[in-house]
Amino acid sequence: MKAATTKKERVAPPPATPMDDKVEELIDFIMKHCLWQFHSRNWDRERQNEEILKKTKQLLCGEPVDLSTPSDRCYWVDAVSLVDAYRERYTWINAMSKDELAQLIDTLKARLDYLTISGSLNEELSDKNY
Amino acid sequence: MPHHEFESSKVIPERKQHVVIKGKGETIADALPQGYLNTIPGSISERGCAYCGAKHVIGSPMKDVIHISHGPVGCTYDTWQTKRYISDNDNFQLKYTYATDVKEKHIVFGAEKLLKQNIIEAFKAFPQIKRMSIYQTCATALIGDDINAIAEEVMEEMPEVDIFVCNSPGFAGPSQSGGHHKINIAWINQKVGNLEPEITSDYVINYVGEYNIQGDQEVMVDYFKRMGIQVLSTFTGNGSYDGLRAMHRAHLNVLECARSAEYICNELRVRYGIPRLDIDGFGFEPLADSLRKIGMFFGIEERAKAIIDVEVARWKPELDWYKERLMGKKVCLWPGGSKLWHWAHVIEQEMGLKVVSVYTKFGHQGDMEKGIARCGEGTLAIDDPNELEGLEALEMLKPDIILTGKRPGEVAKKVRVPYLNAHAYHNGPYKGFEGWVRFARDIYNAIYSPIHQLSGIDISKDEVPTDSGFLTRQMLSDGNLSEEVRNSETLRQYTGNYDSVSHLREKEYPTFEPKAAAGA
Amino acid sequence: MSCEIKEKDRVGTVNPIFTCQPAGAQFVSIGIKDCIGIVHGGQGCVMFVRLIFSQHFKESFELASSSLHEDGAVFGACGRVEEAVDVLLSRYPDVKVVPIITTCSTEIIGDDVDGVIKKLNEGLLKEKFADREVHLIAMHTPSFVGSMISGYDVAVRDVVRHFAKRENPNDKINLLTGWVNPGDVKELKHLLAEMDIEANVLFEIESFDSPVLPDGSAVSHGNTTIEDLVDTGNALATFALNRYEGNKAAEFLQKKFEIPAVVGPTPIGIRNTDSFLQNLRKVTGKPIPQSLVRERGVALDALADLTHMFLAEKRVAIYGAPDLVIGLAEFCLDLEMKPVLLLLGDDNSKYPNDPRVVALKENVDYDMEIVMNADFWELENRIKNEGLELDLILGHSKGRFISIDYNIPMLRVGFPTYDRAGLYRYPTVGYGGAIWLAEQMANTLFADMEHKKNKEWLLNVW
Repeated sequence: MKAATTKKERVAPPPATPMDDKVEELIDFIMKHCLWQFHSRNWDRERQNEEILKKTKQLLCGEPVDLSTPSDRCYWVDAVSLVDAYRERYTWINAMSKDELAQLIDTLKARLDYLTISGSLNEELSDKNY
Repeated sequence: MPHHEFESSKVIPERKQHVVIKGKGETIADALPQGYLNTIPGSISERGCAYCGAKHVIGSPMKDVIHISHGPVGCTYDTWQTKRYISDNDNFQLKYTYATDVKEKHIVFGAEKLLKQNIIEAFKAFPQIKRMSIYQTCATALIGDDINAIAEEVMEEMPEVDIFVCNSPGFAGPSQSGGHHKINIAWINQKVGNLEPEITSDYVINYVGEYNIQGDQEVMVDYFKRMGIQVLSTFTGNGSYDGLRAMHRAHLNVLECARSAEYICNELRVRYGIPRLDIDGFGFEPLADSLRKIGMFFGIEERAKAIIDVEVARWKPELDWYKERLMGKKVCLWPGGSKLWHWAHVIEQEMGLKVVSVYTKFGHQGDMEKGIARCGEGTLAIDDPNELEGLEALEMLKPDIILTGKRPGEVAKKVRVPYLNAHAYHNGPYKGFEGWVRFARDIYNAIYSPIHQLSGIDISKDEVPTDSGFLTRQMLSDGNLSEEVRNSETLRQYTGNYDSVSHLREKEYPTFEPKAAAGA
Repeated sequence: MSCEIKEKDRVGTVNPIFTCQPAGAQFVSIGIKDCIGIVHGGQGCVMFVRLIFSQHFKESFELASSSLHEDGAVFGACGRVEEAVDVLLSRYPDVKVVPIITTCSTEIIGDDVDGVIKKLNEGLLKEKFADREVHLIAMHTPSFVGSMISGYDVAVRDVVRHFAKRENPNDKINLLTGWVNPGDVKELKHLLAEMDIEANVLFEIESFDSPVLPDGSAVSHGNTTIEDLVDTGNALATFALNRYEGNKAAEFLQKKFEIPAVVGPTPIGIRNTDSFLQNLRKVTGKPIPQSLVRERGVALDALADLTHMFLAEKRVAIYGAPDLVIGLAEFCLDLEMKPVLLLLGDDNSKYPNDPRVVALKENVDYDMEIVMNADFWELENRIKNEGLELDLILGHSKGRFISIDYNIPMLRVGFPTYDRAGLYRYPTVGYGGAIWLAEQMANTLFADMEHKKNKEWLLNVW
């Protein structure tokens, strides 16, 4: 049981970039359709965001994706699903260069990390145990 | 933070921290209520206790088990026959419940001997059942009975039986959620890994956080079987005790209700390296996406796709019939925990409804993050609404329907808001493609009930038409529809059967050649 | 051929017939106007009881919890009661009566509820609610003692003890109905009205069956007021219809104010209703009017159509509240039926000496068993493993699967009856109740005959 008084330190949101509107669309999709970003602890959220968006980036950029472990496959299926939806719903993404895509996903990740981890108001994220 | 203060809760100002309205452009980093804190005494909350969270919600759906509560009879009686979690073994766990019947003398002198007698008696009365779960209650926790020791003793004397002990007294936590947690951890610590299963497929999952409400699990397992996937265990609806002891051998944990069962998935990942895939069994698109992901994980995506194609073709025209008629209708969502996020977005997308509020009885902040992330601007989010707040919110939001529990549903009835049972369902199951149409049908039937329409008429004041002997739901729902929709030849109302589940139990499934054999 | 009374010989309970004491106290609490009880214990002790009330009545009733959590269980939770009273009174301005209902946990940790009430009376109520009439009433109902039945009995006594005053003795009677339904209260009030007797009905729960109104203003709550409760001390006599659900209050009034107590018989069936009316006549001097002679005649007319032809010899098992079970058994005997198994769900030591039980033991001319501290396994095991043959089961909904699985027709009666619509609306007491019970039993048997094709053609002519 956590005490009502514990307040976690919150980090300021990342600075705005020209890609913001696009990133917000992508974020909104994740928020409304995905569950993987909402594991219950900080360390899990960090890993989920990192691994799934890494594979998302690789898929978008046409790079090879490591599928050697069950965990990799699990991150990968969420990434495939996300990439397919992005390509279908946000067709502008299909016109982007590799560099732009890489930057887009980096920005997306920074924003997602903020919303779900560093800027999250969820006081249970830092609990030591499950 | 866009907190909302209810008039009725001004005298308990800490409640303000539990209520937010998601404003324009706001995210979950701006708007999130407090959650899972101790309840304010006397506030008339809807929450239950940690005993019921453990025994009633998660333990009892296990189907081949003697579920015995160590305490006075009340806890057992009260949590018996108040759920619709069925099982394919003639509902053994619904029909039979056991109490050690602790009385005053046991409180004074201890109840361990009584417990042991009970265990032996119960196995004797039901000789075909060799598995047991014992649940501690407030009384036996406070007198300090060592239930584990008694269970060990019996298992030594009766090697054919296996006993699980769950120490989760009613007071252990702010709500039933404390009990969900305790039983998750107790199960993995005591039971997982001590039985080796027979593996019959290359693709093996645990289906976790699924309680087979009105057959939800059986509908989902049908899809898995059609894909050639072995469901090693279900935690816990329609699940078997020994299956759940073998959870460590699955390749993937497929998680539905993260609120009640993410703990065991997290532990299974840490201890056994089994990945956790969160899915949504509700709604066409989320379900299709979920099945596809599971298929992809095993490299059998085409099997998933074949099922999705068949099911969508069969049921989509029926879902859309309801969607046309539910467009813009306002919904209050007041489930226990996970359904607030399972449903929040998809009932807007796929049924055209407008979610005006999301409440949770026992959810944590994580559930509200998911829920608020998935709902639109202006949505009212309340953590553990109490009686007066619930009423005040109904007054403020004037919803067309509320999805909540039986008792708050009765409160809503009085203020003329139709209710649908969010926990046990009206005429479920609601999971699966057909289930989702059943859900839409039930919502439609509630909102367009001619009786509900009558309840708004005051015969002492209102002009009452004297030339109409009846109204139908469609007379109420179709007035503003376009000709095209009304006369559509593709859209149709639900055409399934009253019982959409039992036939699955007799179904034959295709056999898929194992990879090893295929390669040989 | 004999009637045997015994205790269940197992220690454990497989499928309990009763819940525990706090549920009974909560049922009393919702019968009182402007009253919300606080159950001092874990939240489940309230949440599930509210749920079962709402399942039975298809209505919601307000009850609060002190929400005992871990810290309270370890360090004592009197503070939770203080806070609960404050929060409840602050948010519900109409509340005047607040029973504080204990549970197993708070009795075991030894919270001094009486002490807390004293403290609140001298502190919080004077300081913060000085202009308000507020009654805090301790009800000690540990779950490991008795059952929901004794909890009800204790709570009625505690309420009466708190309020009753003898100021202006009058000609009213106190009518303690026991744990009954709105339909019963309506029937009892009808009998009293025909007798022209004024009564103080504890509890006025006809209003549990509440409407949906166009303005959304209706709520379900009992209507017994503080004035009614105070007035119990002025009565001419107290009629406690159920020996185990109200007798304690009747005894209290007798001891304290010398108000004569008439205990039972539960007016189920013609004969017991006759006794009730006779007792009323004796105590009040009011004659039994022709209207009731006629009403009784209508009932007898209805019963005569059923008894010899359909009900005679039918073997019945009955379970539930003791007064109900015994009353039903007596009525069944009058109807030529054979109650063969009576199950009483708790271990009250008074059952064997209950004059009605003694009369059964002395007079029943076939094998009848009465099992105390019984659970549903006492019924099911006899059917499944010991060859008990039954034609009918009478009891509440928690036993429904026995009826379903063994194909034995069952009439839902008592509390709770959530798997049948609207039963709370109909009486089991009085002449009206006799008609309802007999006809429902007959119709239940008829439906079963047709369902099983067991001489279903019999009803071609009747």
